[in-house]
Amino acid sequence: MTEHLKRRSHWRWLAPAMLMCLSLPGVGSAVPGTQYDDLRPGQMQSGTLLMRMEAGYRIATRMNTDIELTVSGLVARVSVQQKFLNDGPEWVEGVYVFPLPDDAAVDRLRMHIGERFIEGEIREKEQAKKEYEKAKTEGKKASLVEQQRANLFTTSVANIGPGEEIKIEIEYLQNLKYDEGTFSLRFPLTLTPRFIPGSPLPSRKGSGWAPDTTRVTDASLITPPVVVESEDHEVTLKATINAGVPLEIVASRYHPIDVAEVDDGYTVSLMNNMAPLDHDIELLWRPVPNAAPRAMVFSETIKDDPYVLLMLLPPNESTATTVVMPRELIFVIDTSGSMHGTSIDQARRALTLALDGLKPTDQFNVIQFNSITHSIFPQSVPADANRVRMAMSYVRSLKANGGTNMRPALEKALRATTSETHLRQIIFITDGSVGNEQELYRLIEQELGQARLFTVGIGSAPNGWFMRKAAEAGRGTYSYISALHEIDEKMQRLIRKLEKPQITDIDVQWPDGLNASSYPLTVPDLYAGEPIVVKARLENQPRPGDFVKISGNSAGGSWGGEISLADNGSSAGVAALWARARIEKLLDDERRGTDPAETRAAVITTALEHHLVSKFTSLIAVDKTPSRPQSASLDKEQVPNLLPYGQSQKAIFGFPATATSAPLNRLIGAVCLLVGLFVMLCLWKRGSPHDFSSAA
Amino acid sequence: MIFRLPHRIRLVHIVVSCLLCLGFWQFGQGAYIPAKAWVAQELMQRAWRRTEGGEEKAAPWPWADTFPVARMSAKGGDIDLIVLEGGSGRTLAFAPGHLSASVLPGETGNTIIAGHRDTHFQFLQYMKKGESILFETTEGRKHLYQVTGIDVVDSRRGSLVLDTEAPMLSLVTCYPFAAHEPGGPMRYVVTAQMLF
Repeated sequence: MTEHLKRRSHWRWLAPAMLMCLSLPGVGSAVPGTQYDDLRPGQMQSGTLLMRMEAGYRIATRMNTDIELTVSGLVARVSVQQKFLNDGPEWVEGVYVFPLPDDAAVDRLRMHIGERFIEGEIREKEQAKKEYEKAKTEGKKASLVEQQRANLFTTSVANIGPGEEIKIEIEYLQNLKYDEGTFSLRFPLTLTPRFIPGSPLPSRKGSGWAPDTTRVTDASLITPPVVVESEDHEVTLKATINAGVPLEIVASRYHPIDVAEVDDGYTVSLMNNMAPLDHDIELLWRPVPNAAPRAMVFSETIKDDPYVLLMLLPPNESTATTVVMPRELIFVIDTSGSMHGTSIDQARRALTLALDGLKPTDQFNVIQFNSITHSIFPQSVPADANRVRMAMSYVRSLKANGGTNMRPALEKALRATTSETHLRQIIFITDGSVGNEQELYRLIEQELGQARLFTVGIGSAPNGWFMRKAAEAGRGTYSYISALHEIDEKMQRLIRKLEKPQITDIDVQWPDGLNASSYPLTVPDLYAGEPIVVKARLENQPRPGDFVKISGNSAGGSWGGEISLADNGSSAGVAALWARARIEKLLDDERRGTDPAETRAAVITTALEHHLVSKFTSLIAVDKTPSRPQSASLDKEQVPNLLPYGQSQKAIFGFPATATSAPLNRLIGAVCLLVGLFVMLCLWKRGSPHDFSSAA
Repeated sequence: MIFRLPHRIRLVHIVVSCLLCLGFWQFGQGAYIPAKAWVAQELMQRAWRRTEGGEEKAAPWPWADTFPVARMSAKGGDIDLIVLEGGSGRTLAFAPGHLSASVLPGETGNTIIAGHRDTHFQFLQYMKKGESILFETTEGRKHLYQVTGIDVVDSRRGSLVLDTEAPMLSLVTCYPFAAHEPGGPMRYVVTAQMLF
């Protein structure tokens, strides 16, 4: 009996040991394999870094985006629906930092809970934040839309229950771009991680990957985590285009689309229905040649105040003659780490094309910057064949790594000794992935002098706000290059603009008695193919026979034109876009030295009147009834953004696996050997050789 | 009984030999990993001397898919390691790996080097604030870093910044050091600042 028990206890020992051995191959192979490597384009693997690192962990909050837009005339109204789905067992607060076009006038928020929805209201930023925090602690569902930068917003959604989905609908208005006879509209879908200069501050406002610093005090709010690949970050698009004129073509630059003609225009959707949120979408449409509008006026009346939006294309003749003045071209190229990947290839190719277009009478220089600034020549040199060849081989050798320390490069380009005989044009090729935008705009404005700055935005998700405002401050123009196939076309267009004289001293005369307050206050210089666009609020309704007179100067002489205000089409959204332009002007003035308190007050007044999200106002929606029981706790989860296509990282999210299976191997080996030997010993002691012989 | 007993003994016999085989195999594995790590370092010290001799991106062995980027020493020379390019598991088996997305030692930005806690980077647990780490680049320049911080971070939530204003160094390994099971979420990060 005792012997029987004893034998059984051996088996009891054996079973777990065997199980351990069986599970072994799995353990061994899962561990030190190539779980992690730095990411280069084309070798991105499935699963996200965040999720891949540890099987037990995943982000509970997921996100999908649906975009619906309607274009009429010169205005697009866009509705963005973000679905927050909580997969986890806990109540969560979802936080999502997302980009919008840099001139978006965000005027509507709706929170959908099942069949119900709650309309958002506009409040001063701090007030909105307070109401949101209150609702959050009371267990009520609430959502808050805040502006972090002109093109960067945050949606926070409190108290999403386990398994629950909440849909946040944000609406905004946007201007269309009209250039060389083509209308275009761009939606940023993700953001390139920004470079954050300055030394870290002790406290932080948000939960981003960068700490707040002395030079970017809100860095932690604008640096959301990034995932490399995700099945959740997808977008659907439904667009309706009512151009008002017959169109030659409707196209998309980067995504395949389906276009259908309907009664009052065209509808556009993405061809495979869904696209990953890793590349800006750009839609283009072009009127048939003789129907291309040369002048347009739209109006909207709100509370008896008429608002007008007018567009005028200067006659071609005035831009026909080519410039005779020799030029000094300074090419500045961003070779920081954020350009690593396809961006640097695009930039190199673009720069080579530009160098190719140089004339022997031109002077030029090439400056590259990352953490440090370096130029090929100490100062600009004549563009003879030899030097251009040298520059080309310099450009070919450019590699992207290090920080985006833009300031010294801009200073170098702007402060180069001025030449009396040459017109200095700075071509700035970058993805604009910086967090200290205002500081740079100020620098450009102060140091510009007679020079002109042209920005070329590179990559899948460039910082559009930086591109436009830097070019505006630099009195130049901006363009985007986001794919290799469009480099030739876009650079040729830029070279045309650089070569042709611009129209300057543009003056807009409003008829007497209307007291127009119009934006922009001074119309910027126009480059070939660009229209004049002005928005104004009038005190009285325009009468028949009221004309706006516009005049300007160019190398070919002066010209003038006029547009009738009376016969205009009405277009919803003109007022909001006017308010958005006014807010931008107020903030630009603050940078130039107006009193911050006054600016703040003026921005708040305009934003509240027009229901707009701004630097000082936010939209908030709060549910009346609490849904989270006070006993349940609330987790905060920052929803990551998708890394722009072809981009490499700004920070390491997820870490390499840094343990080998050696200690485990040794442990298991030791257990197996000990158990084996022990059993052998027992069998031997019991006189098993005897048994063996009897069996034989 | 007579028929069943030998049967059972034979089963026990098979299990015991299986156990012993597995035991030896596992023990061998456990010894092979550190041995490989050590032998590779020896081979790489040679490749390093070749790099110093002017050969560009000298591979430590003919089929290697990586190359040495720096040589690091610490603890007064007791630790002397060649750092390879890349942070893949394949590379880390031989040497600490420099993550390609980060800058090289001596450059402005954060240099991130990962290593296994049970082989090359075992010594990190004995590093203290203020101790120094010396780097030698392939061009022969020397850079001295001083340890300024030691943190344990959760790799599921934490991240390492790549752009910094001053040259920085982050040495990353798994934590806790004494754990048997690989694949845990915690990381031990030694941060250092460049002195020159």
